[in-house]
Amino acid sequence: MAETKTLRVNGASIIVGPAEPDTPLLYVLRNDAGLQGPHFGCGLGQCGACTVHINGEAVRSCQRPLSAIGPSDDIVTLEGLGTADKPHALQTAFIEEQAVQCGYCTNGMIMQAAAFLSKNKSPSEAEIKTALANNLCRCAAHLRIVRAVSRASGQA
Amino acid sequence: MNMIDGKFARRDVLKGTGALVIGFALAHCSPREQQTQVTVGQYGPPEDEIDSWISISQDGTATLYSGCCELGTGSSTGLLQVMAEELDIPFEKTQATGPDTNRTVDQFVSSGSRTIALHARPIRQAAAEARAALVEMASKRLNVPADRLVTDGGIVSVMGAPEKNISYGALVGNERFNLKVTGKVKPKDPSQYRIVGQPVKRIDTPGKVFGTFTYVHDVKIEGMLHGRVVRPPSHGASVIAIDESSVANMPGVVKVVREHDLVGVVCEREEQAVRAAEALKVTWSDWAGLPEMKDLYTTIRNTPEFPSGYADEKSRPMGVIAREGDVPAGLARAAKVVKTNYTTPYHHHGSIGPSCALADVRADGVTIWSGTQTPYGLREASAKFLGLPSQKVRLIRLEASGCYGQNGADDVVIDALVLSRAVGRPVRVQWMRGQENGWEAYKSARWFECQGGVDADGKIVAYETQTWGFSGYSRPEYHEPMHGGEPGSLVTAQLAGWEKPGLEEGFGGASNNFEPVYADIPNRFVKFTYLGPTSHRMGPLRMRVGSMRGVGSPDNIFVAESFIDELAVVAGADALEFRLRHKPTERMSAVFKAAASRANWQARPAFAKPTSGDIAKGRGIAALGGPRDTNVVGIFEVDVNRKTGAVHVTRAVVAQECGLIVNPALVTDQIEGGVIQNLSRGLFEEVMFDKSRVTTLDWSSYRIIRFPEIPDVLDVVLINRPDLPAMRVGEPASEVVWPALANAIYDAVGVRLRNMPFTPARVLEALAAQRQASL
Repeated sequence: MAETKTLRVNGASIIVGPAEPDTPLLYVLRNDAGLQGPHFGCGLGQCGACTVHINGEAVRSCQRPLSAIGPSDDIVTLEGLGTADKPHALQTAFIEEQAVQCGYCTNGMIMQAAAFLSKNKSPSEAEIKTALANNLCRCAAHLRIVRAVSRASGQA
Repeated sequence: MNMIDGKFARRDVLKGTGALVIGFALAHCSPREQQTQVTVGQYGPPEDEIDSWISISQDGTATLYSGCCELGTGSSTGLLQVMAEELDIPFEKTQATGPDTNRTVDQFVSSGSRTIALHARPIRQAAAEARAALVEMASKRLNVPADRLVTDGGIVSVMGAPEKNISYGALVGNERFNLKVTGKVKPKDPSQYRIVGQPVKRIDTPGKVFGTFTYVHDVKIEGMLHGRVVRPPSHGASVIAIDESSVANMPGVVKVVREHDLVGVVCEREEQAVRAAEALKVTWSDWAGLPEMKDLYTTIRNTPEFPSGYADEKSRPMGVIAREGDVPAGLARAAKVVKTNYTTPYHHHGSIGPSCALADVRADGVTIWSGTQTPYGLREASAKFLGLPSQKVRLIRLEASGCYGQNGADDVVIDALVLSRAVGRPVRVQWMRGQENGWEAYKSARWFECQGGVDADGKIVAYETQTWGFSGYSRPEYHEPMHGGEPGSLVTAQLAGWEKPGLEEGFGGASNNFEPVYADIPNRFVKFTYLGPTSHRMGPLRMRVGSMRGVGSPDNIFVAESFIDELAVVAGADALEFRLRHKPTERMSAVFKAAASRANWQARPAFAKPTSGDIAKGRGIAALGGPRDTNVVGIFEVDVNRKTGAVHVTRAVVAQECGLIVNPALVTDQIEGGVIQNLSRGLFEEVMFDKSRVTTLDWSSYRIIRFPEIPDVLDVVLINRPDLPAMRVGEPASEVVWPALANAIYDAVGVRLRNMPFTPARVLEALAAQRQASL
């Protein structure tokens, strides 16, 4: 049965729905919370464009049903990671390194890298590449993304 | 502040036909943007009026109204640099908007890497004339002769007395120029450029990293519903029956829609539409008209040539590209002869975001939000599809996921129109991943036959390359009276029962760069046997083909520059020296030298000193370029793992001369992106199908490059030629990748890979055949 639910998103409580329990979190974030950071890419958990943080972990929001999210779960999207006024080190680095072409994958790149950098403060280039191996980019901004993550490491 | 918030108001009122005066007062305009009135004709505002291109607000911000589509390459930043330069206005005080068929000039299709090379010209001219007009206005206001005034930073001041000045905003803020673009004002000489040529940062990056950028996927309007489509399970299947009761009890279902074989559902919420589309029970007819994959290339080779619609063969863009001397006679006196075949597979565009559109079909007019590359052509196709005059249809173009050619961006508009028309409300449709891969337009698979010979002195005496392939012209690219603007070019319109043909023979993009870049090759014959346009729903081989980054050029260069390497091998020559021996142009030679110098190229025949051990090292070179086009040379160094068959690029040097460089940072960015994308296509990618349909419907069945597989080093060498016009940037560099890779693999392990992709399995197979042959 469809139900309304209160979620904690980017530090605020928001009411979403009514939506079915099997609704992927992605659609709720985009359409109920009005967020534009996470994108629909494959709906299969294969590309990473929909990545958000749940309790600090990088999660594919297209694969996480609403029913699996509790009231204390802390959801952070690209908008909540940082803003133009208070940017996250990765957001600054992506601008400095011009690591964006079409930008559709950028959300996933930054969110995946942010979760990674919070655990590995000064990774090698090879470790960065491994950490992002399941995030796909078609414009092929890979070299710049690696440079941006490297630049942000230690500051994140 | 260069980005205008992409949220659009519902619609301006659209009434009647003929010229309209439309107040451009959209809610998406920033407060600084003025509300100029523009006259909109059949194809947008007239291109010979300054107000069609540029407006200046009271605070001095200049807004560019561009008909060019930003495709994620940064071209809109480049266009703003051009405008800021000619206007003498700080780059930070510029912003861009458009395309919008109610406000921006028709600049046709944004494709072929031509935005800066071609579409910047009218913008440059309009800006130069706007600046001249501002000087005239200032002359009157300050009572100083115009030739004693200078412009800088958006201010006109008196020479030698800078305290006497007036700002652009004070001169024209929120007013029209009311002036024609005469062509009489001379734009700046490139030696005066201060903004053009600078590595200005892209205007769209902040929005994209903070999640505030509005893609077409993000547009939401009042009363909007969500649609999803249900595609046939095979390319040729038709609806036999739809069981609407299968979704009748599902939440949020507003309507099941069928227009011939275009089937969809409209729901209140997006996830409801996804679920209902999965659940809808449709009975389809059987169809299994595709060849077996193993027979693909013989099928292509045996497909009859498409009859030319051109008055004579010479004016046909595809067909015989070069015919000089006598190939059989040349072969007869050759010391060494090489005869080989090559193949290239179908490719997916692989956009990360499946195509999306929003349509609002109302009795008094239609509004479309689309990620198209051809706003006016698609508007015209949409109007024809709906049976409306085209001025009843407004198309607002927003950026979408990178497309690299013709993905489903145009087609999904027809889906949205059909669903919106059926429910009388605005409907947003996004394709699912499998639908994008299954129904977009692919890069054509191609078959090649080559023969050539070298004499005892190592000079080419005969050269013949022929190819067979389909071509990508399934965009509603232009509009009447030229051609195109036809819904029939779209597979969704075909599904919806649109029977008038829209597919046409293309401009010949598929045959570009097939002729060798070397002048001194006697006895040459180069031919593209064109097999016609195809779609999933029509044509001799029902795999839909459309343009993809470079159209046919990457395939042509792959073969031309691999085959020249094969001739160098039998001549026992160094690959670079052999190329220079056959006289590329001076421009091309300069690029060869720049690349060779950066790569520290040492002359020796290929595979002369094979490395031992599991990892074999090799290097390969390839080039492309025309007399009036960008010239590129790539030198790739690879590791080939003899045990696993994996190929890894350790270093790639790419030297490029593309005339005047407007923004070196963007040029480098485009080269990096093009090279890595085509590395992905060359190493991994092949669209697979069974007898009914394409089967590479996700990212596990269609593998693209991942971070650990990118080159260790990519070294870009730019040669700036401000004395030449700006030339194409996005496509050319990507096109040297496949032959440079194949040539490097040959150099490493002595096997020639002629069938793409160069997967580990293909490499191992070739190595096994090599061992077999040496026994």
